[in-house]
Order: sequence, then structure tokens, then C-alpha cells
Amino acid sequence: MKLSAEERWDLIDRISKETVTFGAYRHTLTDAIGELTIKPLTGIPIAIAVLYGFWSLFGSFAGTLCTDGFFVKFFDGYWLPWLQQVFPGQGNWFYVIMVDAGGIESGEFVLSESSFESFGVLTSGLFLAIGVVLPAIFIFYLMLAILEDIGYMPRLAVLIDTMLHRIGLHGYAIVPTILSLGCNVPGVAATRILETKKQRFIMMTLLAIFIPCGAQIGIMEEVVPDLIGWIMLYLIIGYFIFGYILNKIVPGRAPEFLIDVPPYRRPLARNIGKKIYGRVTGFFKVALPFVLLGCVIVGILYQMGVIQWLGGVLAPIFVGWFGVPPETAGPLVAAFLRKDLAVAQLSTIEMTEYQMITSVVLVSIYFPCVATFAMMLKEGWKDLLWALAVLAVVVFVYGGLIHLIGILLGVA
Amino acid sequence: MAMERKLSEMDYDEEGTVTEIEEYLRRRVAGMGIRVGKKLRVVTKQPIKGPVDVIVDGAETSLGLDMAEKITVEVA
Amino acid sequence: MKILLMGHPNVGKSVFFNRLTGANVTESNYPGTTVDYTKGWMKIDGKDVELVDVPGTFSLDPKDKAEEVAVAMLHENRGALVISVIDASKIERGLYLALEIIEEGYPLVIALNMRDVAEDKNILIDADKLERILDIPVVSTVAISGEGIKELVSRVKEAKPVDVDDIISNATKAADVGAAGDVP
Ligand SMILES: Nc1nc2c(ncn2[C@@H]2O[C@H](COP(=O)(O)OP(=O)(O)O)[C@@H](O)[C@H]2O)c(=O)[nH]1
Ligand SMILES: [Mg+2]
Repeated sequence: MKLSAEERWDLIDRISKETVTFGAYRHTLTDAIGELTIKPLTGIPIAIAVLYGFWSLFGSFAGTLCTDGFFVKFFDGYWLPWLQQVFPGQGNWFYVIMVDAGGIESGEFVLSESSFESFGVLTSGLFLAIGVVLPAIFIFYLMLAILEDIGYMPRLAVLIDTMLHRIGLHGYAIVPTILSLGCNVPGVAATRILETKKQRFIMMTLLAIFIPCGAQIGIMEEVVPDLIGWIMLYLIIGYFIFGYILNKIVPGRAPEFLIDVPPYRRPLARNIGKKIYGRVTGFFKVALPFVLLGCVIVGILYQMGVIQWLGGVLAPIFVGWFGVPPETAGPLVAAFLRKDLAVAQLSTIEMTEYQMITSVVLVSIYFPCVATFAMMLKEGWKDLLWALAVLAVVVFVYGGLIHLIGILLGVA
Repeated sequence: MAMERKLSEMDYDEEGTVTEIEEYLRRRVAGMGIRVGKKLRVVTKQPIKGPVDVIVDGAETSLGLDMAEKITVEVA
Repeated sequence: MKILLMGHPNVGKSVFFNRLTGANVTESNYPGTTVDYTKGWMKIDGKDVELVDVPGTFSLDPKDKAEEVAVAMLHENRGALVISVIDASKIERGLYLALEIIEEGYPLVIALNMRDVAEDKNILIDADKLERILDIPVVSTVAISGEGIKELVSRVKEAKPVDVDDIISNATKAADVGAAGDVP
């Protein structure tokens, strides 16, 4: 037999009366902290402090301590020169792809001096994967696990609900957004916690376009540390502008926020360790093959002249519409395959700061990485096609808009 | 003296007993423990039409302002 | 045999799953960590049994895609047994979902998890009495420390379908006994 909802609650009330005693509510220290972090007057400053702390720890641990402090020295000081010496066939195509594309100066082949410039699979590829991306996602997932296990995420969701409401989402959209800052793949999976198709579509599209993953942020932090703040700002502004527009044009409902706010808990070191291990290895299983394979393909396409050719064809658009120098066309085309590599390439090109900001933002919003693409396909091909259509429009419009802003500010 | 008020209009730290929930919402909020006859306390409200945060039976729930408008509470 | 771990979001299902199967699903302190199901194997009395970590749901009337996955999982496995994980500090709403599943005829055991949290909040639950009323095993547990998990596993075989009518009459009886007890 089945009961109606009312009958069921009625039965529960009767059972509860017999079996449960609710003692006097004890107000604990944890409750007090819980309230402080959710009341707007104290909660908003705390949230800003937490996010700022997250950001600066990320930069100082991944960029300064690990990458600059150790990996750059190791890769540039020992690994690259050693490979340049022992790897056979200097200058031939296999050497170029695996070790060093070098440069031609007055007709002579010259060796690269750093792992940022060499673009070999075993040099730039490994350096980016291990020296830049690994520390970045390690520290990201460590801090994320702590915030998650303490129980801070739902409180952040409550505080940010008002803003996300304006773009057809609600506070809980902060969860897929933050997960995407580590890797877009679990971020896209987490859109399932949103109630309607409309919300999931808006969320997925915004994630794929505007949220750079940990690997990308790590690389930006490394190669354009002074500009990354501006780049992130443009991405966040884009997230809200296009979220607002999508909310207006995508049909469907955008239901309200209703969530459970769990009590704070002390995180267990064992669980945090397990989570970091699982996520970092998961990331590398998915990403490392792509990074290395991407290096190979980009290397081959350069060797065949395909990227130069495409770059030449597209250069007028890049120069005229986006206001970036013609040399960026190659990396911008290569960004279809490897965004991280493209950012590293861009950083070696002479251009103004504003052009650098524009081109890195373009790389970020360009095209989702292959793994994200596959995940979106899993969630439905129709939504994926629409998302790609939106993406094309956004790249064109937002790229142009950033150029225009630059012109108005007199910096582009 | 007891008086009825919408949950959305209650103040910080105010307590009361739920007397009415609009039909369409009843099942959804019941899952969160919010039902007619339950005592609740408002922890906080977020500014600019943000969500309302309440505690029922020791469990904290945050709900959108539009939902809070559809819940009537007898304030003690 | 297949066992489904079901309950509200954030009640400790994934902690149970990891402990019972030795797997490594993500556990976090917020609702919505598990958005897809994970299958694993555990041993009960020497036999291999399939265990599924189902996404959390508030009721069998899904409101988002993760909940749809949960409800579909239940309905696709008509022959399954359900371990209903309830956050003891939020017992009433947990019982709602448990009753819904009971009413659909599934054999059930209840894990009253987070006993420690309930205690901190001064919420006392008479698990034996609850067991008598529901007529299925009810085991108090603290998933993170492992307390009660052995007992839970050993009692899985006692799970059986129950008719809600019986539960209603048991509740009435318990109330009568309770009322009689109040009179000296
Ligand atoms: N204090 C306490 N915390 C628990 C207990 N069981 C689980 N947790 C914590 O509750 C949170 C939710 O657990 P999880 O397994 O991810 O919940 P799920 O959403 O049901 O899978 C995690 O932070 C766990 O560490 C328990 O018995 N006592
Ligand atoms: Mg889980």
C-alpha cells in the first residue's frame, strides 16, 4: 500500500514522537562560526578573504615555490641542455618534435635556451605537465578538499546566490564553477545538481567558455604573472555578461535556491589525502596524454606548415578585429589543440601588454579542451552543438569588445 | 502576543511556528524538514532579495526569497 | 544479490561505500558530491555482493538530474535490497524517503548514521523501539569511525519487505503502550 505525502508525514510524526527526544538545542562554537560565515555583514568579508587567500596561496605555492624555485632550474639547467646534447639528429624533424624546434638565426640552427621556447614533447611537454601543471593542480585540489570537507561550499553558495540569480542560475552553481577551476570535466558533470535543462545548459556553456582549468591558470601564473589578474577579471566579467544574455534568450525555468547547509566538520587528513591523490591521478590520466599528444600534433602541423598557412589566412581577422599582432595567429590556431602550449607560445611573442591580455583571454574562451568536449557530448549532443554555436559568437563578440575597450582606454 | 507573518518578512534570530505553506511548495520544502507545525528560527537573510536561512529541528536550510514568501509563520 | 545505498545527499553514503568495498569515491561535506552511481563489490558471509553508491535524493519524486539517476537506479533494480542511510540528526526527513522505498516493496535496512552528530545536538533516538515499529533492522552508526558497520553488514540478511499498514498499527500499539506506561 502507498500513502499520500500527508499520511506519510503523519505517520512519521507518530513514529518520531515514540522514538525521538529532541533535547534543548545547544549552541556550540561550531554553530557560532557557522552563523558568522553566513551572515552577510561578516560572511561576505570572510568569503572575500577566503577566496583571496586561496588565490595567493595558489600563486605562491605553484608558481613561485615549485615551478620557479625548482622545476625551471631543473628543466632549463639540466634536462634541456642534456637532451639537446644526447638526442641524435639535431635539426631533423624527429628531433624538432621531441626536443627542440630551436630557431634559425642568420641561416644557422640555434638551440633554445628554455623549456618555454623549445616546444619539444620531451622538453616543453614534460615541463608544462610536471613542472607547471602538477604543482598547480596539487595545491588547488588540496585547498579545495579542505574547503569541501569543512563544509564551506554551501555557505559560499548562499552568499553568492543573489549574483548568480541574475544569470538564471542560483547559488549552488558555485559548485560546478569552482570544480571547473580545477578541471572542466568534473565541473560539467556537477551541472547535474541544477534543476532544469535551462540552468544546466547555461552553466555548461559558461564553464566551457569562461572558466580556465587549473592547468591553464597554472601556466598563465607562470608566463604572464603580472597580467593574470586582468585576464581573470575579463573572464569573470564575460561569465556574467553572457550568463545574463543567455538567461534572457534560453527558454525554460530558472527555479530558486533551496539547499541544506551542513554543519562544519573537522576535515580528516586521510580523506583529504585520498581525494587529492584520486583527483591528481585522474587529471593526469585524462590530461597528460592530451598534453603530450597535443605537442606532437602541433609540432607536426608546424613542420608541415599547416598552422603557418591557417595563421596567414586568419591573421587579418586577428589583427583587424581582435587587435593582436599577426604572429599570434599561429598559437591561436594551435590553441584548438593545446591551450596551455598556446599560452606558453604567446608569452614568447613581442607585443603590448593589452595585446597579451586579449590574446590569452581569446585562448581561454576559444574552444573547450578535448576531454571537456567529450564530457559535454556525454551530457547530450544537441546541447553541445548549441554551446559551440554560442561559443563562436562569444569569441567573436567578446574578443571584439575587449579590443574596443582597449581602443577607448587608449591602450590598444 | 502571537502574530502571523511571511517567512520572508521575519527578522534575524526571530522564531516561530510554521502555520501554512502554499500547496505547490509543500513537498519540496518538506524534504528539507520544513513543514506545518514545525518550529523554526531565522539565522539570517541575504541582502538584495537574497535567500533566507532557517534552522528547523537543528538542521540549517537556505531557501530563495520567493519561496520564503509562500510560507506563513506564527511568530512567538 | 544487489544492494543499493540510498538516502539524502550528504548523509555518509559514500563513506559507507568506500568502507564496504574498499573503493575510492569522493566524500565531501556538501550535498551533490555524488552525481552518478558507482558500483563495487563487498563480501557478506563469504559471498560476493554488488553494492551501488547511489546519488543522494530527497524523495522518489526527483527534482534534478542527479536525483533522476537515483530514482531510475531504484526502479531498474526491482530485486535489489536497500540500505537506507539516514542522518540521525535529521531523522524525520530521512524516514520519509525510507518509507517511500518501503511502500514500493523493497526489502530495507536502516543505517542511522551520524549518531555522534545527533548526540552533539542533544537528539536521542530509541533505535530498538524504532526497529520494533518499522519491523526491519535499524543500526546506529558513525560511518567515519566505522562504528556499527559490522553490525549493519551482519544484519543485512534480515531485511525484508514490510507493509506500511503493519507499521501504522505498530506505531499505534507503541503509542498505547507508551500511554499506558505513563499511568502509574
Ligand atoms: N561526524 C560524522 N561525520 C560523518 C559521518 N558519516 C559521514 N560523515 C561526513 O559527512 C560528509 C558526507 O559524507 P558522504 O559520504 O560524502 O555523503 P553522501 O553524500 O551521502 O555520499 C563527509 O564530510 C563525511 O566525512 C558520521 O557518522 N559522523
Ligand atoms: Mg556521495
